[in-house]
Amino acid sequence: MPGPLIRPEDLVSRRILVIDDEEANVLLLTTLLKREGYTDVHGITDPSRAMQAFIDLSPDLVLLDLMMPEVDGFQLLEAFGRHERADEYRPVLVLTADTTLQARRRALSLGAKDFVAKPFDVIEVALRISNLLETRLLYERLRQPSP
Amino acid sequence: MRLARFLTRFWADRPLALKGLVVVALPLAILLVSLSLLFQASHAEEEAEDDVRRAFAVQRDTYQVHALLAEAAAGVRGYVLTRQARFLEPYRKAEADLPPTFERLDGVIRDAEIRNRFERIRTLAVRKREGLHAIVELADARTANAHNTSEIEAALVANKIVLDAMRQEIDRIQVRENTLLDQRLRRVEEVRNRFLFLTAISAVVGLLGSLAAVYLFSTGIVRRIGNLEDNAERLAQGEALTELPQDADEIGRLAQRLVRASALLRGREQALRESEERFRLVIEEVRDYGIFALDPTGVVTSWNLGAERIKGWTAPEILGQHFSRFYPDETRDFLPARMLQRARERGTVEDEGWRLRKDGSRFWANVVITSLHDDNGQVRGFAKVTRDMTERRRTEEALRMAREDAIAANLAKSEFLSRTSHELRTPMSAILGFGQLLELDEETLSPSHRAAVQQIMKAGRHLLALINDLLDISSIEAGATDMSIEAVDLDDVVQEVHALAAPIVATGGLSFQLEVAEPGLIAQADRRRLIQVLLNLIANAAKYNRSGTCVRLAYGRNGEDIRIEVEDDGEGIDPSAASRLFTPFDRLGQQSKTRVEGTGLGLALSKRLVESMNGQIGYEAPAKGARFWFTLPGVQPAQMQQKD
Repeated sequence: MPGPLIRPEDLVSRRILVIDDEEANVLLLTTLLKREGYTDVHGITDPSRAMQAFIDLSPDLVLLDLMMPEVDGFQLLEAFGRHERADEYRPVLVLTADTTLQARRRALSLGAKDFVAKPFDVIEVALRISNLLETRLLYERLRQPSP
Repeated sequence: MRLARFLTRFWADRPLALKGLVVVALPLAILLVSLSLLFQASHAEEEAEDDVRRAFAVQRDTYQVHALLAEAAAGVRGYVLTRQARFLEPYRKAEADLPPTFERLDGVIRDAEIRNRFERIRTLAVRKREGLHAIVELADARTANAHNTSEIEAALVANKIVLDAMRQEIDRIQVRENTLLDQRLRRVEEVRNRFLFLTAISAVVGLLGSLAAVYLFSTGIVRRIGNLEDNAERLAQGEALTELPQDADEIGRLAQRLVRASALLRGREQALRESEERFRLVIEEVRDYGIFALDPTGVVTSWNLGAERIKGWTAPEILGQHFSRFYPDETRDFLPARMLQRARERGTVEDEGWRLRKDGSRFWANVVITSLHDDNGQVRGFAKVTRDMTERRRTEEALRMAREDAIAANLAKSEFLSRTSHELRTPMSAILGFGQLLELDEETLSPSHRAAVQQIMKAGRHLLALINDLLDISSIEAGATDMSIEAVDLDDVVQEVHALAAPIVATGGLSFQLEVAEPGLIAQADRRRLIQVLLNLIANAAKYNRSGTCVRLAYGRNGEDIRIEVEDDGEGIDPSAASRLFTPFDRLGQQSKTRVEGTGLGLALSKRLVESMNGQIGYEAPAKGARFWFTLPGVQPAQMQQKD
């Protein structure tokens, strides 16, 4: 009798990287994630360091702001895409105050897997995060040879 | 004098055929009259001569009668005396010759008096012959009886008396005939003289008739044809025609035609000259266009005011110069020649580029060169029209820059709105996010903190709604909103709105009524914005309807447009305030009266959205409650099918 495909404890141990130049927003998201039980959450407020952190941490999920000084979210999305292996599913959830259609389209076309407008409903964001992580987990399992 | 003039005119007005007839017939008629006169004269002369001849014949024959009888009487006397028969010879001759002589005389005599005497002579001659006969018989009887000598003597005497009486008659006849002869000779003389006179008259009249005919011919035809010829020559030379009398015959009509042709020609010439003059004046006075002419080699041959104004040269300065001097150094060597060549080949050529003024300054010119051809198709020159486009070029440049500025300003505005949106939302995100986190853990909070969190969340949500509406309005007014207008199925949209708004309406304890006047209507709209407007109006109706029972959504066709109504049966709106309904932030005192939540921007935003979808929005007061309506351009089903 096979158990559930994904157990909650499989998700909360996943590594999540939060990139936002607003410290309050990074704090809000990390607080929310810790409250939801996630244990491996990292926050970055300096966008210039974001790429390095992405490479170093190799997170399972990125929560990304779009409008940031020096390096904006679109540039980071492109950089992630260039760095990523083709068969890798590493979801990026874009969270932005720019609610225009253009911004949404552009972000999604650059590889973002989901898009949430700020201000957001914290419960909705928590649910989207767990969904994205689930998808990534299933992806990983498909790639592993069956035991 | 008047008669002469009348006759001249009358003659001139007759047709040529009649004139020809007259000219030929007049001398002939005169000749005929002369001939008949001559004939009469000669006849009269002949008659007179006849008369003379007859007079001579009468005289001769009367003598003959006398001679015959006298000789017969002498012979008879000789016979009586001698009884020799040979003396009777004359008597016998008279017996034989007298009757034919009398016969002749009888036929010749015309004069009554002579005839009278002739008759008497004839009677006397008969008596004489009878007397002679009697004497001859007596003489023969005497031969036998010599006693009748006295009888014979008496007979002889009587016979002698008869002859004497006859001689008297004959003498009288002779006298009468002589008188008659004289008369006749005079008449012959007269007739001959008259004949001579008539001949002379005929000659003179014939001569005069010929002269008259020639004169008539000359006045009637030859001279006038000569005048006509002169006039024709004048017409050819373009001179004024000599005035000719207006005669009604063919030549006169021809003359009048010539006059009319001349007048027409002159009229046309005049019109042409005037038209050319007007055209020349117009060309010369045109100030905005430089219009000038070139000869086939490119030398300037005319120059108008516009050319002077644009290029600076006056006409005397530039006439005779080659037009290549209008071109700056870099194009002077090839462009003028090329322009003329192209104009020759294509008829007209247009160019835009830098040209030189007299003072050496440059201007941006639009140039059209048109080749001018003579009747044989040979190029006889060019017309060149030049416009100074410098000002227009400058204006275009300014316009372009203004447009770029406007685009930049618009971009800046969009950028500003986008930034504002971000700047306002980012802190809201933190406020509402943390507030929500606190709400999630509210069991850990004290009751006073719990109430504080609720107030923070309420105020935060209101502020967010305000920010959203404000940014929406601003972006619509800045034109930064992208409307995607498309054909929208209203039934579909209304179903969606009904589903979305049902909870809001239900919260107010109201029923939600849907009225579809005509299914299948298609509107030209932005689907998302249309839903936004509908939700806003329905939320308003639900929020402010405290006393009524329902919210009604209805839509149908209104001419070419589609009309949508949202109505409630609540308290309605104070008519005096209705005009302020669509003013931003004007909530008509609702916030204090009914404590209904709202940003005060909903209707203002709806108005801008509807108008940017080419519709209209308005309010009307039904019997009870409030009714908002708006229109959208409809799409005819036929147009939809064409699109498919």
